[in-house]
Amino acid sequence: MNYHNIEILFVEDSADDAALTIRALKKGGVTNKLHHVINGAEALDFLYCKGEFATRSDQEFPKLILLDLKMPKISGLQVLEKIKSDPNLKSIPVVMLTSSNEGPDIEKCFALGANSYIVKPVDSDNFFKTVKEIGLYWLVLSQPAH
Amino acid sequence: MKKDDSDELIIANKKIAFQHQEKENRAAELIIANKELLFLNEEKEKRAEELAIANKELLFQNAEKENRAAELVIANKELAFQNEEKEKRAKELITANRELKKAEDEVRQLNDELEQKVAERTAQLESVNKELESFSYSVSHDLRAPIRAINGYTKILVEDYEAVIDEDGLKILQSIINNSKKMGELIDDLLAFSKLGRKQVTVSNIDMLDLVDQVKEEVLLEGHENRPEFNITELPNAKGDKSLIKQVWINLISNAIKYSRHKEKTAIEIGAYEEDDHIVYFVKDGGAGFDMQYYDKLFGVFQRLHSQEEFEGTGIGLAIVHRIVQRHQGKVWAESTLDEGSCFYFSLLNVNH
Repeated sequence: MNYHNIEILFVEDSADDAALTIRALKKGGVTNKLHHVINGAEALDFLYCKGEFATRSDQEFPKLILLDLKMPKISGLQVLEKIKSDPNLKSIPVVMLTSSNEGPDIEKCFALGANSYIVKPVDSDNFFKTVKEIGLYWLVLSQPAH
Repeated sequence: MKKDDSDELIIANKKIAFQHQEKENRAAELIIANKELLFLNEEKEKRAEELAIANKELLFQNAEKENRAAELVIANKELAFQNEEKEKRAKELITANRELKKAEDEVRQLNDELEQKVAERTAQLESVNKELESFSYSVSHDLRAPIRAINGYTKILVEDYEAVIDEDGLKILQSIINNSKKMGELIDDLLAFSKLGRKQVTVSNIDMLDLVDQVKEEVLLEGHENRPEFNITELPNAKGDKSLIKQVWINLISNAIKYSRHKEKTAIEIGAYEEDDHIVYFVKDGGAGFDMQYYDKLFGVFQRLHSQEEFEGTGIGLAIVHRIVQRHQGKVWAESTLDEGSCFYFSLLNVNH
């Protein structure tokens, strides 16, 4: 598989949320090359060019990471901590995606350096709108980190 | 007579005369002596009388002394008795003190035990609270996810497959979208409601007029068909958790606006009055009102007195108001006439209380 020029790394364990999010991004005109991984371990492999991603160039960094918070094994919080404590990765904007605004994780996310925090709305109109806005904001409006 | 004889007689006479003289002298002396004796006797009698009086006096004094001595003996006995009593009392006091000390120790021990129990109970409650929190978290995360998928996929069907689904099918899909959206709102409301029960109430003096003004401005920002007209009279300050009481005002004022929607204008009256150590605030509208017959359902969770078509909502707003006011040891109640309007009241502790 070609992992060249991937601009969005999308970390999401729910296939449904992933499908809906990807569709929303495309519908919203965010056509940047996206790679979807299904857990935290894969996300770290991708970023550190390990395992399946050993052939990926370690000089290329995604422009945006969409990171689900609640995932089995390595949680979004752990991935975030790893990214933000790595001098090579910490300038990549990370948008946390989560199903709820409950729980103690919101503060933790910002303390660890998350750039944004999005509660996935149940209503699909809102959901599409939110995802589209995330993509546009971080890929078009913000200055690229690299 | 012979001379000699006469001489002798003269001499003898002289002798007799002398003797007489002597006798007379002696008699006079005796008289004097007698007189003196008499006088001495008199003196002796006087003295004896005085002595008798002195004796009597002495006797009396002795008797007095004896009396006094007897009294002293009695007083001594009394004193001894009192000393004994004092000792007894002192012993009793020592015993009482000892008992007091023991009682204090027991109280202290009981307090310690109580504190420990409270600490244990608090720890239990905290752990239950944590469980509840993680339960709420799971509910909100795990229940929302599938509903989001249902809503999202249905939306895709409507958008991408419109051409191959007939009108009835599209109506059904729209119902699925509406219902799943509604369920999402219910879950969010339920969570917000359960969060309230766990939220710490931080009491401060609330500048009520300022708070209501804030809420009014926020509500007006939302934009409404009939711009609401507010008539706010003086609002005394009260004690409460500012963010929670703000929520009460938001819910009551939003309701007043919502249920006035079908009226020509939206007039909202906000005021307060003092009652005992409480302040009663009220929000009055001229909206749809409700039938007092169903009053007992008014503040229930997810209870609604109007249809979704008439007025949208999940039925959580007044339940939240009720829960918040209850957590402030206040009361909430309402009066209404169907089609004429409602007045909602809630009471909070006066700041001077």
